[in-house]
Amino acid sequence: MKTRDQEYRELFMAEALEYYDSMSRHLSELERNPNAGPSLNELFRLMHNLKANARAMGFNDLGEVAHHLETLFGLIRDQERTFSGPLTRVVFTGVDALGNMIRAVGANQPLPDATALLDNLDRLVRGEEPILDAEEAAESEEESNKKMELSDLVYIQVKKLDNLLNLVGELVIDRDRIMTLAQELDNPALLATAQHLFRISDDLQYSVMDARLVGVGVLLNKFPRVVRDVASAEGKEVELTLSGQDVQIDRNILQIITDALLHLVRNAVSHGLETTEQRLAAGKPVVGKLNLSALTERDDVLIQVRDDGRGINTEAVRRKAVERGLVSANTAATLDEKAVWAFLFEPGFSMAQKVTDISGRGVGLDVVKLALDSLGGQLRVESELGVGTTFTLVLPTSIAVKGALLVEVEERPYAVPLLHTDTVLSLHPGQISVVGGVLVTYFQEQSVPLVPLRQLLYDEGDGPLPFATRDDITGPQQVLVVNYNNRRLGLVVDRFIRQQNIVIKPLSKPLDTIDLFGGVTLLGSGQVCLVLDVPALTRLFLNKRP
Amino acid sequence: MNKRILIVDDSFYMRTMLKNMLTDAGYEVVGEAANGAQALEMATATSPDLITLDVILPDNTGLDVLKSLRQIQPSAKVVMCSAVGQEVIVTEAIENGALAYIVKPFSEEKVLEIVGSALQGDASEQSA
Repeated sequence: MKTRDQEYRELFMAEALEYYDSMSRHLSELERNPNAGPSLNELFRLMHNLKANARAMGFNDLGEVAHHLETLFGLIRDQERTFSGPLTRVVFTGVDALGNMIRAVGANQPLPDATALLDNLDRLVRGEEPILDAEEAAESEEESNKKMELSDLVYIQVKKLDNLLNLVGELVIDRDRIMTLAQELDNPALLATAQHLFRISDDLQYSVMDARLVGVGVLLNKFPRVVRDVASAEGKEVELTLSGQDVQIDRNILQIITDALLHLVRNAVSHGLETTEQRLAAGKPVVGKLNLSALTERDDVLIQVRDDGRGINTEAVRRKAVERGLVSANTAATLDEKAVWAFLFEPGFSMAQKVTDISGRGVGLDVVKLALDSLGGQLRVESELGVGTTFTLVLPTSIAVKGALLVEVEERPYAVPLLHTDTVLSLHPGQISVVGGVLVTYFQEQSVPLVPLRQLLYDEGDGPLPFATRDDITGPQQVLVVNYNNRRLGLVVDRFIRQQNIVIKPLSKPLDTIDLFGGVTLLGSGQVCLVLDVPALTRLFLNKRP
Repeated sequence: MNKRILIVDDSFYMRTMLKNMLTDAGYEVVGEAANGAQALEMATATSPDLITLDVILPDNTGLDVLKSLRQIQPSAKVVMCSAVGQEVIVTEAIENGALAYIVKPFSEEKVLEIVGSALQGDASEQSA
């Protein structure tokens, strides 16, 4: 079990990093407006807290630097000093030093020396001129004619990066077009240039995607606080562990899933984990475990919320689904547990007996599902009654460029995002059976319904699909197995074309109401290719199955 | 009955540490407020026996909160918490009815000693 010291250390780190971020923000405000009162007050307060916390942890040097900066900001606030001249430089050096010290604490390394900095801060407090490091001063004097001192870091608005990524997307499409043309024209010089263009635009694309990546930790590190607040409101003891904070992901994706993750974590503490009495009665340790972890799997990022609580009561969910009219009692009885759990993500479906302050304000897991659908991600759930529940968010690393499988139906190409594809199969007629008018094959010990993609795309009307018979199967069938909400579906296609990274453009009006298509992409040949929306296809199949 | 304590501090870390110390010693921590507004709200809602009050808070200074607290909960005993450097405010706080003050970083012993004697009503101008 985690010791109290470890807990304090984690809390200290999370809060110190938060303070440091705020400090940097308020400092840049102060740079624009040296008399910004609110920023000065905040800087003063943040320094004060950091000092107190650092001293309590025994990081005395860190506390000392924060203490000096606190005093200095107090003087600036009381208008005894102004935020200008050499003072500005020492303050920036000071805040940078705090950042380095905090990071050193986080990495369990010795804190960097701050003697010279402390001396300068002392001088400023006493009203004397700081002594800028001789070497540094000499160097800057020497170089003052040649260059200005600029930071190696540039802050950039996410909007600008979004724009850049969109432009790269356009470029990639044209690149593919030029590549195809070059091959058709068979001009060696053009082909060589096109190949070069291919390589550099590939590099460019990855560089831009890379610039947008942040560590998942920036989100995960906010959770110790959330968990503690919810746990204390619920009167539960919860031990939170975090891992995989360094896993990289697109900043906007992280933004979009923030609420979803918050919901899952609150849910886990409020409903997933039992009360102390219940845990004791079940012979479990009193302290509930909650683990938030991030990991990379192929091109995807997985974020998991795992608790060792009561697990999902499958039978209760089954009853509730029938009560709510989501499924007939007969059908419900035949569903396996994964299919039953999928009801948890239906809009408005809630298993909460009572609405608590913290979670369950009538908001269900469908919110989480919606956020993931909008990203083309997936939500998986694993649970064992009495043992615990794990929710896994499967996320793309980047928004704009997605891996896709191109398939052909009736001589038209369609793209299916790889996130939703499980596997491709080439099935002999003997491997396919007919059950209740639906073609079925067995894959990984699971029965997977098959449907010709042609029928889903071309059959008009809301009526059920025609009953399938053995006569429909002539020769080997090319099947793409897709997965949505723990349901597998085999799409029968004419042929597989290839796997390719595609840039998805949203459909514009009036086509954006067609929910079977998630967007459109241009192939190198200049051909327009529709991107299939697997969630919508799955729903359509479930509605129309005979 | 256990004495009931409200903790007011804008640092989550500090609140956690204080809460653990006080809870371990058998006190009941009835609330944790992170700013002045929350402090006043929780003090009204929970009527604590004692409030530990941080001197520097995001929305008000601890001193303003102290003055309001004295009005809405005159029976609650208030102990100020502060890191060194804010002695002027602390002195003013004592003049405004705070019973004692605890200097951060605090040791468990000192916290319990000051809180204990403040609750007995015989503490005055104590410091750690």
